Amino acid sequence: MELRVIDKTDEELRIEIGGEDHTFMNVLKGELLQTDTVTAATYDVNPEQSGGQTDPVLSIKTESGVDPLDALAEAARGVQRTADDFTDAYRAGIDA
Amino acid sequence: MVNDFQVEFIEREDRRARFVARGLTPALANGIRRAMVADVPTFSIDTVRFVENTSVMFDEMIGLRLGLVPLTTPLDDFEPGDTVTVALEVDGPATAYSGDIESADDMVVPADENIPIIELKEGQRLEFEADAVLGYGKDHAKNQGGVAVGYRHLQRVEVVGDAGEFDEQEPNILRGVIEEAAAEHAEGDAEDGDLVATETFGNDLTERYPGKEVEVHDVPEAFVFSVETDGSFDVDELVTRAVASLGDRAAELEEKVAL
Amino acid sequence: MMIPVRCFTCGTVIGEHWDEFKARAREGDEDPAEVLDDLGVTRACCRRMMVSHKDLVDVVSPYQ
Repeated sequence: MELRVIDKTDEELRIEIGGEDHTFMNVLKGELLQTDTVTAATYDVNPEQSGGQTDPVLSIKTESGVDPLDALAEAARGVQRTADDFTDAYRAGIDA
Repeated sequence: MVNDFQVEFIEREDRRARFVARGLTPALANGIRRAMVADVPTFSIDTVRFVENTSVMFDEMIGLRLGLVPLTTPLDDFEPGDTVTVALEVDGPATAYSGDIESADDMVVPADENIPIIELKEGQRLEFEADAVLGYGKDHAKNQGGVAVGYRHLQRVEVVGDAGEFDEQEPNILRGVIEEAAAEHAEGDAEDGDLVATETFGNDLTERYPGKEVEVHDVPEAFVFSVETDGSFDVDELVTRAVASLGDRAAELEEKVAL
Repeated sequence: MMIPVRCFTCGTVIGEHWDEFKARAREGDEDPAEVLDDLGVTRACCRRMMVSHKDLVDVVSPYQ
């Protein structure tokens, strides 16, 4: 996973996340959109056949006073929690 | 954000399972599905060195068939990219089966033993040595551990009234799993909240609620996953590994963002 | 020529069941549909792999 910041202001971030695809990006975007301090989040990927930029570019906009990089880190923690919680729920389902 | 996931199994065997998962967003459901197909590695034969092949098939055709044979994959003991050497030697007249493949490692063996590789006639012979590589489904379909993995919405069937007395009742086909919401009208024993696979009533709602008019709604945030594996590992391993792969990537992202 | 190892559509391993299917439904006189149900080959995509297959090794082997 290679990160490359394309644009960064106090409330906006555009960042390229190398080597990832819809599998992770959509989950991450979903997590960002459920964060109160994030006002907008989306990502864009071009298909491999298109040539050119094929790594996903994530765009985040936050409320003033919140660093979008912090919001991204928080969302990354959120996805880890989600994954752990789901695994626990799955194990509980097996035992039930 | 607090997650409140619930998983309930409808069927659960080694290689196939169906379960209802509640409390997840569509994004997460799709992420898990995609991860099961592409991001859980399995062993698969990748390079074949033929010593002798006098069968009716070309080396390449046999190589293709070998790649598709599922091999058991203990993921705790191997890293992606690891190789295990396997070999096969069969003299005709006989059929070479996947079970004839000898492996250098007892943990990585063909998951199914009765897959015919090639039928050999009198005087024909097949001998080769091959490398099985632990690779990702993202890179080659032969490495996909999940087979026919999918999900659909859990559906809730409500009885809204009686069908017209003189109407011919046409079949009302629905496939998947329903959440019982009109137990008093259902045929047989039923309780509200039961999860019922539609096969049990011939996928036809008029069989279960005769003479009733029903409405079907998707249950939000509830997904019925149906998961099968090719035998490389069991379903539980596939699901937990897929979910863990999402968590691992999030951990990597968090670490890189912090820098 | 030989039964494909996997179903073309869904990727389930079907080669595993060929010998039994052949013995019971082709050479035996059981109902193919019942044999397939019994073997756990449930989807239409996998069933057609078995039902429509013809072994051709005997046909091509004289021409090597």
